[in-house]
Amino acid sequence: MTGAIATVAPLVGQVEIHNRTGQNAPCQAQEGKVFCLGWAIDNFDRYTTPLLNQLFLVLIAVAIGFAVAFVFAILSHRQQWLVPTFTAATGVLYTIPSLAFIFLLLPITGLGWTTAIIVLSVYTLQIIYRNIVAGLANVPMDSKDAGRGMGMTDRQLLWRVELPLALPEIIAGLRIATVSTVAISTLMVFANVNTLGAPLYQQIDFKTNIVIAGGLSILMAIVLDALLLVAQRLLAPWRRPSMEALI
Amino acid sequence: MIAASRIAEVEAGRPAASVSYQHVTKRYPGQDEPAIHDLSLEVEAGEICVLVGPSGSGKTSALRMVNRTVEITEGDVLIGDTSVRDRDPARLRREMGYVIQQIGLFPHRTVAENIETVPRLLGWDRARARERADELLGLIGLPQSLRDRFPSQLSGGQQQRVGVARALAADPPVMLMDEPFGAVDPINRERLQNEFLRLQTEIRKTVLFVTHDIDEAIKMGDRIAILEEGGRLAQYATPAELLMAPANDFVEDFVGADRALKRLALMRVRDIDLWQAPLAFVGQATAEVRAKLDGAEVPHALLVDSQRRPVGWLSESDLRAETVAATPDTGPEPLLDLDDVMRDALADLLQSETQYAPVTDADGRIAGVLSIEIISEFLGSPEAKVEEHAAIERPVEQPLGE
Repeated sequence: MTGAIATVAPLVGQVEIHNRTGQNAPCQAQEGKVFCLGWAIDNFDRYTTPLLNQLFLVLIAVAIGFAVAFVFAILSHRQQWLVPTFTAATGVLYTIPSLAFIFLLLPITGLGWTTAIIVLSVYTLQIIYRNIVAGLANVPMDSKDAGRGMGMTDRQLLWRVELPLALPEIIAGLRIATVSTVAISTLMVFANVNTLGAPLYQQIDFKTNIVIAGGLSILMAIVLDALLLVAQRLLAPWRRPSMEALI
Repeated sequence: MIAASRIAEVEAGRPAASVSYQHVTKRYPGQDEPAIHDLSLEVEAGEICVLVGPSGSGKTSALRMVNRTVEITEGDVLIGDTSVRDRDPARLRREMGYVIQQIGLFPHRTVAENIETVPRLLGWDRARARERADELLGLIGLPQSLRDRFPSQLSGGQQQRVGVARALAADPPVMLMDEPFGAVDPINRERLQNEFLRLQTEIRKTVLFVTHDIDEAIKMGDRIAILEEGGRLAQYATPAELLMAPANDFVEDFVGADRALKRLALMRVRDIDLWQAPLAFVGQATAEVRAKLDGAEVPHALLVDSQRRPVGWLSESDLRAETVAATPDTGPEPLLDLDDVMRDALADLLQSETQYAPVTDADGRIAGVLSIEIISEFLGSPEAKVEEHAAIERPVEQPLGE
């Protein structure tokens, strides 16, 4: 990993992050301290752009990942033999190390947002796809039988019965995918996107910086996860609390 | 006003349609033997036809071919005059009520939304569908307060009622019911059966009803189709015919050794020849009553009031007085009604450990006397071919002492 970072160090250098000189000097004296509050307050605006960039990147990547995984899942719901194929394919993509993935894309999309979005969306595919497929598979047989027996077409059954009933599992997948995307998105500094990874890697020896950049990233994961949980409860009011606790 | 006329229109309903199986065969891929073998069956409009048989007899396949959730291999099924094969499956199914054992309510939809399923598929507007749902909740005897609950918040019996209401929502001419009461406990099952029979007297749908329980078949069916393994029709007859004259050993076996007793469930007290007891009135000379006792069918005198309503049985000591007193030693219980089901009447007799029970008409006047002996003779008669009458031959006490 250290080797990898060394290799991409020139890339990081290209990112215009912030002026390192002087500002944290008062804090250098208290190097032993974990967190330097005064410096944090003075310099908080340094993190605004990386924070917003990262949030935007995560939302775009999860949205695209969801759209693609959803299409795959619906296709394989009709043609069950596609399930192992899609599972294997998304699984293989999931195993590619993030840095290697960025380099693989370099000749095609270069550095920048496009590469970052592609990498992050591809990583979400496996989790979201599998959760949609599992959710659809877990729809009670008798609900489907009743729906079909009452004259629903396949499409009506899908949109009125199967997808609503699979919703809790689908959102559960989105939650995992979102949290892991937040984590990986910091690495997108190596694709030359100014995420929270940028301040993180630039001053890796300055603890206050690590706490703020890392903390904001963790906070983002927690907030997005909580929002999705709220959405799940609002969209699936029929689920009793005892069942929700399992997810 | 608009609402009232709409409900009237719904209540008037669409006429029930006949269902006709015409040489229907069903083969499943990979199976040598057909699951259903040349089945022909006519179900008249407004009747309940029960398909009954052991597992593997193809009864569920037979039912599902009507709404094409199972496709027909050979032959045809006609609804009225129209072949189901000529219909778009989804449209066809919207015209048939469908109730399954697992009920299959949509867990994510409220009771009202579940009931509105087919009306919404048919393109009714929300208000009309909602109105219909409320009306059906009333019809199946569920309080309106349940309308916005989710199925998981209902008891099993309530869920099954909602399942029936959902099937009736668009007033379908035909109802398909696949072991609809199979998953509820015996007490609730009996209640649901009775409710459905009561409902059927109002709605008069053509009902195809699958069960593996011959007792349920006898209770629910206007006609019963007994299917053998491989989907061969063993007999298609009314419950009484089935019990009296089983077509073959299979049917006899399936109907069971106690079919004579089952027949009692189909009969009412008025269907049997009752005995007459000597009647006594208050103030009548006992000598007169004693004279009537000689050679009477019932060897005890029954005291009745001026309206000929039974008051009680006169005992030896009652008859020792000059005239008949107003308060006999023994009450008239059990008191039966001409419309009582024979099986219940027998149960009453056995339970009260008496041999005779006065039977009254709708006005409470004496119509005759039912005795264990009458039932025993009936069960022993050649037409009933009793095989197990041990159950009713247990010793019973006389209604009078000594």
